[in-house]
Amino acid sequence: MTRHLCTLSVLALLAVASVAVFVMSGRYPVGADVSHWQVTHWLLESLRERSIAHAAARIHVPPLDAPDMLLSGGADYNDMCAACHLRPGEDSTDLKIGLYPSPPELTASARSNVDEQEQSRRQFWIIKHGIKASGMPAWGKTHDDQRIWAMVAFLKRLPELTPTQYQIITARGKAQAEPDCHQRS
Amino acid sequence: MKHKSSTLWFTAPACALAMQVWAHDPSEHIKKEPRDPDCSAMQEMDHSHMDSDDPVMQAMMQKCMPHTTKESDPKMKEELHNDAAGEHAHPSADSLRR
Repeated sequence: MTRHLCTLSVLALLAVASVAVFVMSGRYPVGADVSHWQVTHWLLESLRERSIAHAAARIHVPPLDAPDMLLSGGADYNDMCAACHLRPGEDSTDLKIGLYPSPPELTASARSNVDEQEQSRRQFWIIKHGIKASGMPAWGKTHDDQRIWAMVAFLKRLPELTPTQYQIITARGKAQAEPDCHQRS
Repeated sequence: MKHKSSTLWFTAPACALAMQVWAHDPSEHIKKEPRDPDCSAMQEMDHSHMDSDDPVMQAMMQKCMPHTTKESDPKMKEELHNDAAGEHAHPSADSLRR
């Protein structure tokens, strides 16, 4: 028994020492232009998805159908999110190409097997808290929950928007009401 | 005790200052002139086929309605012109009734 324990302890110490040597050697590529190893990618993806699902499980989703929410969330999305997550009609941006992991295209439709409420909880949590070492900021530090829910409401509709609808809904300015009567040819 | 009270004198103003940095006003996002919506496409749409319960459509109407209503209504357009030229102080009540 004692011999087994000693063997296990030695093996554990060797494993820790190997990891330490590997980390301190600086050999692992951290450039965003080099993909993770498959196993690292799987580990990080699984960790991220399970962590978000666990953290967002108890979030209560409010009604997300008010037009005012679409206007508020749309304008914020255009200012803060579109450079990475794209606008309708866009294939890519410099930021999207350069970031790793690549930001998900929020203009694309969600998977059909994803529950809408779960999707909303997940999006709210991600927008509010961000994701470590991914380029996704924690917007909750500078935006209250109401504004974040407005963005979630907009994200629900984003996949169905045409470029024309998008530019109308996301404009911060007001529609010009007064016609210019003084233009002369 | 003395150390505790002096620490409090230092941290309290720092906390008060930090509390100023919180959720900011949307206007801080506007780095330049805010973009106005191009509502010309709304005028060409067949509104009778639109789902008035659709939040997207409602949001678009909310954004563009002042623009489409006044530009497409010739009488309203004339009233606006006269207002701008200062010939009438207020449009007549009849012209505003739809």
